[in-house]
Amino acid sequence: MIAKIILGLAMIVSLYSTSYAHGTGYRQSSLNAVALEFTYSTGEAMSYREAKVFSPSDEKFAYQSGRTDEYGRFAFVPNTKGEWRVIVRDEEGHQCEAKIDVNDDEVHVVSENLQGMELTVRAVLGVSLMFNIALLIRRRQNAHQ
Amino acid sequence: MHISEGVLSGTALIAGWAGTVTCTAIGLKKTDTSKIVRTALLSSAFFLASLVNIRIGPSSTHLSLLAPVGLILGWSSFPAMLVALFLQAILFHFGGLVVLGVNTFIMGIPAVLVHVVFGKMMRSENRIFSGIMAFIAGTLAVMTGACLAGVFLGLSDKNFLEAAKLLFYAHIPLALIEGAVTSFMIMFIRKTSPEFLS
Repeated sequence: MIAKIILGLAMIVSLYSTSYAHGTGYRQSSLNAVALEFTYSTGEAMSYREAKVFSPSDEKFAYQSGRTDEYGRFAFVPNTKGEWRVIVRDEEGHQCEAKIDVNDDEVHVVSENLQGMELTVRAVLGVSLMFNIALLIRRRQNAHQ
Repeated sequence: MHISEGVLSGTALIAGWAGTVTCTAIGLKKTDTSKIVRTALLSSAFFLASLVNIRIGPSSTHLSLLAPVGLILGWSSFPAMLVALFLQAILFHFGGLVVLGVNTFIMGIPAVLVHVVFGKMMRSENRIFSGIMAFIAGTLAVMTGACLAGVFLGLSDKNFLEAAKLLFYAHIPLALIEGAVTSFMIMFIRKTSPEFLS
């Protein structure tokens, strides 16, 4: 009888300790997160796309993985200095790679969103290059004849 | 329709470059240097079309002009698209230089196909017939390009059918818009500069 009581008590204690070991909790973090927004060239957000974070110390295996939110936003907390990479991709072959330089006192993100005047200048440059190449070929052809 | 850098496997990239180098060589051989300015004009239009955003419901896409380029340039579409996609990669960061071969192949093949199948129909005396055929050519060019992109993604990923299906359905609205744009462009060219279709 005594043995059964001891065994029963031991089971109760073990169950209690097991549930206590898997208890959860939360608190506000004082660490600074790097938050990024990913968009397509059309300006549309890359919503709910697969995102992977690669730390400077391991470029092969992801430090963190998840998905962007509805607005194409994704955040992570770097734990070391150096160049971090965040790769967001969809199932249609689009991929965006963000590079983030993390130093002691600041985080530097190189933005790759071309807009407004810069985009117009590049478009004009491209068209101009194509016509100049064509005219060069035609001029050479005429010189040969 | 641009596939980004770092998505495809080595096999897919080599296959794309092999196809593009072969087709570009054929295209250069068939390019009439007296019509080089016309090639530059279409190449520029193709280069700029990617900046024209079209809103479709909650999402948006951009024009590609595969069929108009193909119907007017034929095999010369390959060198024209290679140059335009190269400039898009370095100036707008669309696609990339490593994946340039695959992207050129994906967009060049539909352009050549519509030229072979629909080219003569664009010179038909019946304007309405030409317009309808141009619409079909524009639609089919985009869908063929989407299927080819699915094939290349499938070479890199086991989920081939899923990628191909997704790309096919996602491009249906764009295909219809491209069909309408192609039809309008061909009707306009027939009226103003019919020699472009010769």
